Amino acid sequence: MFIKRSNLFHSFVGLLVIFTILVTGCSKTTIDQENTSDNEKQKVVTFSWPGDIGDLNPHTYFPNEFFSQAMVYESLVYYGKGGEIQPWLAESWDISKDGKEYVFHLRKDVKFSDGSLFNAAIVKKNFGTILDNRKQHEWVGLINQIKDTKIIDEYTIKLILNNVYYPTLQELTYIRPLRFVGEAAFPDSQNTFKDGLKSQIGTGPWVLSEYKKNEFAVFKRNEQYWGLKPKVDKVVVKVITDGESRVLAFEKKELDFIFGNGVISQDSFQFLKNSGQYETKLSEPTATRTLLLNSNREATKDLKVRLALQHAFNKQAVIDKIFYGMEKKADTLFPPILPYTKINIEPYEYDAEKAKMLLDEAGWKQVKGKLFREKDGKELQLELLFNSTDNIQKSIAEFTQGDFRKLGIDVKLTSQETNTFWTTAFQGKFDLLFTATWAVPFDPHSYLASMTTNSENGSPDYNAQLGLPVKKEIDQKIKKVLLTTDEEDRKILYSDILTTLHEQAIYLPISYQSNIAVYQKNISGVDFLPQEAEVPLTSIDVN
Amino acid sequence: MSWFIFKRLTSLIPILLGISLITFILLYLIPGDPAVAYLRASHIPPTNETVAALRVELGLNKPLYVQYFVWLGKVLQLDLGMSYVSNNSVWEEIMVHFFPTVQLTFASLILIVVISLPIGMISAIYKGKFVDQFSRIVAFVSVSMPTFWLGFLLIYFLSVKLDLFPVLGRGTLAHLALPSLTLAFAYIGTYMRLLRASMLGNLNEPFVVYARARGLRQRLIVFRHVLKRSLLPVITGLGMSFGNMLSGAVIVETIFSWPGMGQLFVTSILNQDYPMIQGCVLFMGVIFVVCNLLVDLTYSFLDPRIRWEGEK
Repeated sequence: MFIKRSNLFHSFVGLLVIFTILVTGCSKTTIDQENTSDNEKQKVVTFSWPGDIGDLNPHTYFPNEFFSQAMVYESLVYYGKGGEIQPWLAESWDISKDGKEYVFHLRKDVKFSDGSLFNAAIVKKNFGTILDNRKQHEWVGLINQIKDTKIIDEYTIKLILNNVYYPTLQELTYIRPLRFVGEAAFPDSQNTFKDGLKSQIGTGPWVLSEYKKNEFAVFKRNEQYWGLKPKVDKVVVKVITDGESRVLAFEKKELDFIFGNGVISQDSFQFLKNSGQYETKLSEPTATRTLLLNSNREATKDLKVRLALQHAFNKQAVIDKIFYGMEKKADTLFPPILPYTKINIEPYEYDAEKAKMLLDEAGWKQVKGKLFREKDGKELQLELLFNSTDNIQKSIAEFTQGDFRKLGIDVKLTSQETNTFWTTAFQGKFDLLFTATWAVPFDPHSYLASMTTNSENGSPDYNAQLGLPVKKEIDQKIKKVLLTTDEEDRKILYSDILTTLHEQAIYLPISYQSNIAVYQKNISGVDFLPQEAEVPLTSIDVN
Repeated sequence: MSWFIFKRLTSLIPILLGISLITFILLYLIPGDPAVAYLRASHIPPTNETVAALRVELGLNKPLYVQYFVWLGKVLQLDLGMSYVSNNSVWEEIMVHFFPTVQLTFASLILIVVISLPIGMISAIYKGKFVDQFSRIVAFVSVSMPTFWLGFLLIYFLSVKLDLFPVLGRGTLAHLALPSLTLAFAYIGTYMRLLRASMLGNLNEPFVVYARARGLRQRLIVFRHVLKRSLLPVITGLGMSFGNMLSGAVIVETIFSWPGMGQLFVTSILNQDYPMIQGCVLFMGVIFVVCNLLVDLTYSFLDPRIRWEGEK
């Protein structure tokens, strides 16, 4: 026996000492400690994100995050305020008369963070690797339209399209996949989608300087940056999965600001705002929170049922009780401040009596002694699918269940985890589904385009619209509008499409989502950028 | 003695095989298709053709038992596959996340021992007195308070209000304090009462009466004879809890953004990252079994009767 019984107690204490040494001895320098000494010389801002930044590759999707990709990589053109396309890595561009060729004149003063030159050759190479994986990016209409890229001279590149495609410039502003990595970042196979990057080399204002997966990422200012240099030297992004923990860390001043959509609960935002100790801001509407009604299911196939649901849903109550009045009531699929989305329609107002009448007309009658309406002996049950990790969806779902019950509609709530949720949604196995438009620069054209195909990275709308008698017509109009060069025709077509979708009552817009910002009083320059997913790190300053 | 260890070790083989079998089958019980999940994670459209091709590539078209043996063969070489999401080796990712969990668990274990044992001992000695009543209340609160609630309370009062500890982050002892206390708290009450009950039982044993009759001092009786005997069930329990904590610190890791196994496991479930889920379940299962084995062996060193039983 290797432990003498008489020494048991001492052995036990000894073990504890070893444990303590292990626990403390393995300690590393934390990001906070490091920053304390750095802070004297450098300006650092800290914020948090619910997940890891991913492998920071602009040509791939999950687990990459939009905001971090936008910090390091840039596009040829920039999506400015009000949807205005501005020069970025390309200082100007010419469009051929037939609209099929775009010639981009690149800035000459741009270098990648490793010092290598940004020129036409590297643009072509990046386009090449993206187009090699065309299938994976097919949700971006432009990818399907690009025929070829040609180097005209060192700083001029031509994009040749198959067809005239009006949102070309708009889609070039997307945070992914049409952004550029430096030569040294390419893997040996040259395929950045399949084999990832060797290192994260971009032209953007930030460079990843330190990273610990699922813990933190530190970005330092790119001193070679060609554009307006960030005001702070470093940005620390801490991974905080829980919203309440995020709020507590902010109160403790471990975070300088909280930014985004759904990163903290509405309650917490209201609490921080009312405390008067912090600055808070709410952005203009970015996207629309919507219920998608499946026209390909037994009950919701009937337009009258869909219309009934539109009148049965009390949006104002949801906004007052769940959002504390923070989100604006939505009457149309897209916020009317976007290009082409202001249409002349009559909104569906909350009217329970009208909803009952429409249900009666649809054949779903109240039966004495029964709680729910029936048609041919079948109860009116609708399955509402929601994402189990989204607290807002859960609250609205429960509210809807209670409210619809009064009208004799049995709402069955199905909660699934994110991945399963999307799988079920893509298969069209729902009557009602929570969805949201994609915000600018994707709205309205990319979101509408995604309705026309059953593609990956698209939306579940295609299947949900299959039961519409006008589905083909809508799809044709959407495809047409993307290839229309005449501005007036485009306006008419968009108006037609959005009016038809409204008349078909396939979408039940609830509210227009906004980004929130909460920041300490010594922080300035917090503003909302045109693209919802971008964090205003370049303009932020610490006073 | 060596025969006892040998017997215990060989008995592990069927248990580990059982765990591997359950882990393997478990994935077929989760809704969804691994091939589709893989394609989605890789952003490849899951059409009939791509799914069929991938099923062949991943060997999912083979009979279940063949798949199991192929998988087991790889597992024995510590090849748990590649994560569908990050494309990194599952084993390496587990190793990265296991260390923070070990750190948290050790710290919690220290707190459990340091807090619950003295209080348990004193409340046994002063049975029915104030200290005993107090420990009863602490134990009641400890076992009934939800972990997430306690975590937020500790952050709010000790960190935000009193500014004693950082809210989040990892590295120093200060960072470790709140998460480990949160994790330990639920166990503190249990071990406090366990030691108390065990000591009370032993204090009535004839050897204590004999010791008293020999004129030994109370302190000597308690520390040298009673405490040592009474610690046995506590050590067994601690060993089991250690395994529990290593594999079940999910809530604490979420509240404190502690990048451990719990977080890795939950994220991989949310992402339907099948190889990672499989790897985590198997790894946690093995850890649990190994902890139990170590407890058994320790116990047999401390109480030879168990060893003799085992060797018969």
